[in-house]
Amino acid sequence: MTSMFRHMTTRGTPYLFLLPGLVILGALLSVPLYKVVEYSLYDNVIVEREPTFVGLDNYANLLSDSGFWSAGLNTIVFTVGSVLGHMVVGIGLALLVNADIAPRARTFFRSMLILPWIFTAVVVALNWQLLLNPFGLVNYVLQWLGLVSEPLDWLGNPDLAMWSLLLISTWRGYPFIMVSFLSGLQTVPKELYEAAEIDGAGFWHKFWHVTLPQLKPVIFGVALLDLIWTFQLFPLVWLSTGGGPGRATEVLSTLTFRLGFVDFQFAQAATVAVSILIISAAFTLLYLRNEARRL
Amino acid sequence: MSRIEIRNLVKMYGAHKALHGIDISIQPGEFCVLVGPSGCGKSTTLRMVAGLETISGGEIAIGERVVNGLRPKERGIAMVFQNYALYPSKTVYNNMAFSLQLSRMPRDEIDRRVREVAEILELTPLLDRKPGALSGGQRQRVAMGRAIVRDPEVFLFDEPLSNLDAKLRGQMRAEIKRLHQRLENTIIYVTHDQVEAMTLADRIVIMRDGRIEQQGTPDQIFHDPDTVFVAGFMGSPPMNLVECMVTPTGLKLGQNDIACATPSSLRAGDSVICGIRPDDIRPSADLPAGASITLPVNLIEQLGTEKLVHFMVGEHALIGKTGGRTSLTEGAAHPLSFDMAHAYFFDPKTEKRIR
Amino acid sequence: MNKFRLSAWTFAAATALTPFTTQAGQIEWLQWFAAEDTSGYYDQLVADFEAAHPDITVKLVTQPFGKVRESIVTDNAIGVGSDVLGLNMPWTKEFLDIGILEPLDEYLTREGNSFAAGDLVEAPLGKIEGHTWMVPLNAFPFVMHVNMGLVRQAGFEAPPTTWEEFAEQAKAISALEDGISGIGMPFSSQPPSNGPILTFLPLLYANGGRIMDGSTPDFDNPKVVETLQLLKDMQDEGGIAPGAASRTGGVDLEEFIAGRTGFLISPGVHSSAITGRNAELDYTLVRVPSNGEQAYRVHGWELGISASSDNKDDAWTFVNYLLSPEVNAQAAQAANALPGNLKALDVVREGADPTLIKQIDILEGDTPVEEMRQSPKAAGSWAVMTEEIQAMLRGDKTPEETAAAVQARWLELAQ
Repeated sequence: MTSMFRHMTTRGTPYLFLLPGLVILGALLSVPLYKVVEYSLYDNVIVEREPTFVGLDNYANLLSDSGFWSAGLNTIVFTVGSVLGHMVVGIGLALLVNADIAPRARTFFRSMLILPWIFTAVVVALNWQLLLNPFGLVNYVLQWLGLVSEPLDWLGNPDLAMWSLLLISTWRGYPFIMVSFLSGLQTVPKELYEAAEIDGAGFWHKFWHVTLPQLKPVIFGVALLDLIWTFQLFPLVWLSTGGGPGRATEVLSTLTFRLGFVDFQFAQAATVAVSILIISAAFTLLYLRNEARRL
Repeated sequence: MSRIEIRNLVKMYGAHKALHGIDISIQPGEFCVLVGPSGCGKSTTLRMVAGLETISGGEIAIGERVVNGLRPKERGIAMVFQNYALYPSKTVYNNMAFSLQLSRMPRDEIDRRVREVAEILELTPLLDRKPGALSGGQRQRVAMGRAIVRDPEVFLFDEPLSNLDAKLRGQMRAEIKRLHQRLENTIIYVTHDQVEAMTLADRIVIMRDGRIEQQGTPDQIFHDPDTVFVAGFMGSPPMNLVECMVTPTGLKLGQNDIACATPSSLRAGDSVICGIRPDDIRPSADLPAGASITLPVNLIEQLGTEKLVHFMVGEHALIGKTGGRTSLTEGAAHPLSFDMAHAYFFDPKTEKRIR
Repeated sequence: MNKFRLSAWTFAAATALTPFTTQAGQIEWLQWFAAEDTSGYYDQLVADFEAAHPDITVKLVTQPFGKVRESIVTDNAIGVGSDVLGLNMPWTKEFLDIGILEPLDEYLTREGNSFAAGDLVEAPLGKIEGHTWMVPLNAFPFVMHVNMGLVRQAGFEAPPTTWEEFAEQAKAISALEDGISGIGMPFSSQPPSNGPILTFLPLLYANGGRIMDGSTPDFDNPKVVETLQLLKDMQDEGGIAPGAASRTGGVDLEEFIAGRTGFLISPGVHSSAITGRNAELDYTLVRVPSNGEQAYRVHGWELGISASSDNKDDAWTFVNYLLSPEVNAQAAQAANALPGNLKALDVVREGADPTLIKQIDILEGDTPVEEMRQSPKAAGSWAVMTEEIQAMLRGDKTPEETAAAVQARWLELAQ
């Protein structure tokens, strides 16, 4: 009996130490989570002291709201486009800065290329607004090269705004991918490349048959993580275009904010937030399963 | 089957000279082993032949072609790496087929070749596995299979057996030897293990500090070493090398005089390094013809079929040998006989052989 | 042992909850004013007040303008709202719908107030749902800033006063050289997406138009269409800088300061920023070009009291202090604005530069208008205006269609 008790306490001790952290984390995570779900089941929360319970009405309204579907579609375009952009640019640059050049130059390029990551979204948005301005650098260069005949309003033209946003998002987000791949690349044994070279592989063959298979677990994990982040990305979109022009770049996260803090429809905002939560949770589960498999 | 000519090969790493003008001439079908301690330049030489390292000076020709400017795949070589370097994501089959696929060989021809080589190497049941599911010896065979399917003019082996345990290493060594007999390709084989060098090679090239110390057949290298380094490097246990004084009748080894013939260029009073293999020092009963001295034996190592006899002459520790059944007592003095007919003499300053 | 623990818990809980309970005599003032001031004036203001009222302490809670509206709503929702609130007129209706604001009618009639209600700038006081909800700390009329250098370069002697002159000059300035435009229209959707408030409404009011009928949207009227038509014509003639749909208010101001636009319609308060940042600019300010109407859009920093405050009397004491002519004059000068209490104008007028004098003239002589305060969903409404005017400037909609679309979406929002 005593020994059993001792056994229990010894086994329990670590959990006891974890308890304060778990309680705080639990409170910080679960209370807001619970609140958001609760809000989504009421009408006129926050605005009214005694909101009425409406069950799933908000969800029904949302599903019949064209604004929600167009924001959803934009979110998919933005997320998939951003992740693809991050991957292509990130992998490409990782390959370049992994190249066998003078170590000092390599360090220089590596540090320079990480810079976009350390700027806050405000700075990134403002800089790109200036660059993409009709009188900005991008238009100047394109005109000089003769690629466009008159300046384009990249962020103000509904046909271009999403592409511009993807450009900004790609610029802003590739360093994480690049760094992940760079560390991945450095674990690829050099001999594999040598073997491939002797087997007659050129650059693309080496990339396709050696690099990519070696990086596959990293790529999958990082892509999922990026997907989760980008899916709910708010500041960059809000600060760059505010969802505009019109609603051309409205994504679910900006819709949530607009419903909440512009229109004061907190219940509807909570409903959109829950929809984001559900989709993000699905991605997260996928990610965790992938991570578990890698271990 | 191609001749390989390496002429005055130089490798610079920045200002550091790693190879100081190497000349090796390998006959078609010859099995050439580059051997030496780590850092001697043997792997660098091999990698320059493969095209994985740039050539700083000199020339490499495979067949009649100078290959200096050619890319690895254009040189007609195949290489087996120390860590096998198998593509982890590909099956055994695809590992072996990869180079053929890249060269756009017809699919059925690839299949025929891969299966044929797999049969030779007993890899047929493993063709669908990935390298992660293979043992070390199996991976080694896949790595060789990958080289063989290409039917190259030259095989390059870079310490291929060093990651295997001792028993497997012996087996694989024999397998490589058999393969060579069967395929008759020219081979350059790098190792730091002198047993591999002795057993496999038609020609051994001993390297040290970026220079060739001596090259020749295993017999020449073993029985006719040019330098102290070669004499000490080949053979296990190594040759005893003792600095002694030349006397009118022979040598003075410590306090003991040994009567023997010395090269005519030596004068009494000269200092000389005398080399004698442990095989040539035996208890006097085993070797009545040799020069006998009674010396204290301080350690006996029983190897089974033979025993190593450790003893001191003055301050020099020497090793002799005797049969596994001979009984000697540690700590006691025993008459030991030196077979001076097989002794080697080296100049202490140049470390070169005095003949 | 258990008892000790219990009391420890109670103590901890009490300590933790302290911020949520306001002590008597302490009031909190949430505003963005101090965020736009670098001189430390507001700390001094609070210190002076506390010296005069030893029984009251004021806690200054400062946030950037963009955050204040959200903060007031969320603080109110969880019951930790400040007592005195820095406000913006357009928020009036939406805030009182949530029940955030305390009606001020009774306070304004109190004996011993330091000011007469009739002396305050009128716009914020206008009753909504039968009550007054805000008082003006200061006021800025909307004006048109002019780069005289560009105006002269384009061949004109004086800034435009009529719409016709305005359109003509803007077009001529745009034609000067690449990168120079007559005027910028900051119609970016990027929050607060208040472009229409900065440019469209001042022009509309100068045209004698309105967009609200009480608290009901009235956007599809001829005056609105005329004003939209002006913007559209100027856009088609090239008088407006390209990229209106991505131009933010901040960029618009910067472009004017840098000398790349001829005109800028914005609060008069920007004059100090303009001259301070670019002393080279040949700068003046004028009334927004009109068709004979002397009405201007007014903007200012307002004050209100939280309906949930436990300390409304002390809160009013502080507001009352801020509105006294002496303090109000100081506060106006510190913000480079005009006072909310017109009795303080004389103090401000002394030593004022010509641009400020012009603003005082507007304030004294013209009709102030602010309509967003009546809008039930002001922020949402101006986002809608922004989006529809974007579409018009892009050529997707005529001015009539634009007016109709805004009206329809506003009615939908108001539900």
